[in-house]
Parts: sequence; C-alpha cells; structure tokens
Amino acid sequence: MTNLKQDRDLRPVDADDAVLAAAGDAGAFERLYNRHVPRIHSLVRRMIGADLADEVTQDVFVRAWQKLGSYRGEAAFGTWLHRVAINVILGRRKQLGIRRERFVEGEGVVGRLSSNPKGAETAIDFETAIELLPDGAQQVFVLHDVEGYKHGEIAQMLGISSGTSKSQLHRARMILRDYLDR
Amino acid sequence: MSDRWTEKLSPYLDGELSAVEREQLESHLAKCEECAAALEQLRRVVGRARALEDRPPATGLWSGIAERIGAAPSDAKVADLEARRRSKVARLRQRRLSFSLPQLAAASIALIVISAGGAWLVSRPAGPAAERGASSVSGQAGLVSAPVAGHSATSYDAAIVELERIIDESRDQLDTTTVRVIEENLMIINQAIVQAQRALAEDPASEYLNEHLAATMRQKLEFLRRAAEMTRAVS
Ligand SMILES: [Zn+2]
Repeated sequence: MTNLKQDRDLRPVDADDAVLAAAGDAGAFERLYNRHVPRIHSLVRRMIGADLADEVTQDVFVRAWQKLGSYRGEAAFGTWLHRVAINVILGRRKQLGIRRERFVEGEGVVGRLSSNPKGAETAIDFETAIELLPDGAQQVFVLHDVEGYKHGEIAQMLGISSGTSKSQLHRARMILRDYLDR
Repeated sequence: MSDRWTEKLSPYLDGELSAVEREQLESHLAKCEECAAALEQLRRVVGRARALEDRPPATGLWSGIAERIGAAPSDAKVADLEARRRSKVARLRQRRLSFSLPQLAAASIALIVISAGGAWLVSRPAGPAAERGASSVSGQAGLVSAPVAGHSATSYDAAIVELERIIDESRDQLDTTTVRVIEENLMIINQAIVQAQRALAEDPASEYLNEHLAATMRQKLEFLRRAAEMTRAVS
C-alpha cells in the first residue's frame, strides 16, 4: 500500500528522469537510484539476506540501466523497477539454491531459526528473522505479506502451485510469531 | 491446538476459507485458547510485515554501479573529461531526438485513429511500425514546426490547464480504453517536451531544437484540444 502511494508521488519526477536515463544520462539515473535504493535494498535484503544485499542491489540497478530502453512509461518507474528487481533476485536465488538448501537441512542459522523454541533468549529482530527464514517460506512471505502479491502471481513467479504458496506462507508466519519484537 | 486447526489459521486471516470451514474454525477458536492465541500472533505477524520500513544500504552503492555502467568519473585528466562530456552531449542529443520522433509519431497515429470517429479501441504501433511512423513524421515535420506564434508561455500554460480541466471533469463518462489512450499519449508528448527542453538547454541557439520544442508543444495543445472536443461530444 505505502509502496503504491510512493510510486504515485514520485511519478512525475521519475518519468522525466527515466526518459533522460534511457537516453544515456547517468546523472538522471543516479537520481532514480537515490529515490529508489531504500526500497530495492530492503526488498533484496529480505529475500536474499544481508550478506548479498549490496551486491544484488547493484545488479538490479545495472540490469535496470541496460533495460531502460524497453521502459515505455506504461507503469510507474518504481513498479517497473520492482519487477526488474524481482527477476534479478529470483535468478540469483536459483544460482544459490543448492548452497542454501544445505543450510536449511543442516546446522546453519536457518535451521536453528526454524526450530527456535518459544520464549528463547534471542537477539534476532523481526527483520533479521525474515532474512533467515527457510528458502521457500521466505520468498513467499516477502512476496505475499510484505510486497502484497497474490498467491496466483507468486505461484507463477516461483514455478510452484498456489497450494504450496499458501502452505509456505503459513509456515513462515508460524516461525515469525517467535520474533515479534514489539 | 492441533495441526488440523492451525493450518487453517492463515487462510482464515486471508479470507480464503469457505463459509462452512470458517464457521467450524470459529467455533473451535471459541473453545481452544491455544488456537485463539496463535491466531492473534499470526495477525500481529501480518501487521508487522505490512508496517516494515524501508532502509537504505549502510554503505553507498552508487559508485560501484556507476563504474559498471561506464558512468564513473575516472582519474583521467580534466581535458579528457571535457572531451568526453562534449561527445556524450552530442551522443545524447542525437539519441534523444531519434527516440522522441517515433514516440511522437505513435502519439499522432493514435490521435488520428481516435478522432476518426467512434473507433475507441486503439492499439499503439510498436517496434517496426513505430519506426516507419518516424520517417513519415520527419517528413511531415514542416507542417507543425512553425514556432508557437501569438502564444506567450503564460497563455500556453493557461490553455493547457483549462483543457486538462475539461478532460478531467468528463473522465467518468469516458470508457477506460479512451482514458488510457489519452493518458498514454499525453505521457509520450510530455516526455518529448522534456527531451526537447533538455536538449535545448545544452544548445540554446539551435534553430532546429527551438522549432522541435515549439512543434511538440503545439502538438500537445492540439492533442488536448481534440481530446477536450471529444469529451464534450460524449458528455
Ligand atoms: Zn486448537
């Protein structure tokens, strides 16, 4: 909701800068970067973890720069950039798949997080807990509860069924109950 | 609390249960404190997710991006930079104008179809078609490229505001496709005006750019005028 509103507010300014950036104006692209980096970095951090967030955020903006020629102003720039980001993130996650899988099964932080006993002493706040969720649960939770996508859309993006999307969402929420920090 | 019930809590929160399932769960919730407490926590999780604040990265990432897109000022000599700036400006100007003409062509094509009476469903030409449109528009440029004679900047702005108001007021009576076509075309024309203004700022003396800007602004005025006529006819 807030994201949509933000898009509308930035729309006129963004439209001008997007046209200039598409024509090769790096200064205009830097202004777009400055306005949108908090949102993109937060999305990346929640979906892929803090370790890789900086690197993947840079990938997102580089990809956006390369693809700007195909942006025709049909959606708000923020909305378009968000889709570019999701694609970059999902591509990156596919590469990471095998490594992360081991984390979930093994002794990693993720494994500990998913079985965190209620009331355990923990310094992990809600944001960090999202970053440490098991893979599938994390993607669905961020896309559904944070970003507002519907199960049908998420199923399509991730190549899973709507039913899987729903059960992963429930799994994520159940885990995160223990990390409500307020 | 059993899995049979807890699994239904998220779908319940999201309004995805059937009426029967909802009733069954609600009567269980009335009896089972554990499930009721879990539901409350899940509700808080969802609320917390919606209220998350975006945070910028702790360290600046722009310089790394600038380097990768070839925009970072290196430690080259000042003369080098100046030469590069000049060639970049020239390149930009060229690309900007070649970008705007097909877009303008697309706008005028859509406008012609729209004003040809009753044909509300318009699909904008894309790709090769737009390219062909570009050459025909350059051909026609002479028709519209006279400076905006007799219009001061203020009367131009006032006319734009007035026409936008008329269109805005009858927006509800227009079908969605028409509104979308009007908005898309306005966006294209506005983009073209911005491009022309920027190019002009870099080369204020250019007669071609001055005429191009004037033509684009006239086109916007003309487009709004026709759109307003159409909306009047409808309402
Ligand atoms: Zn129960």
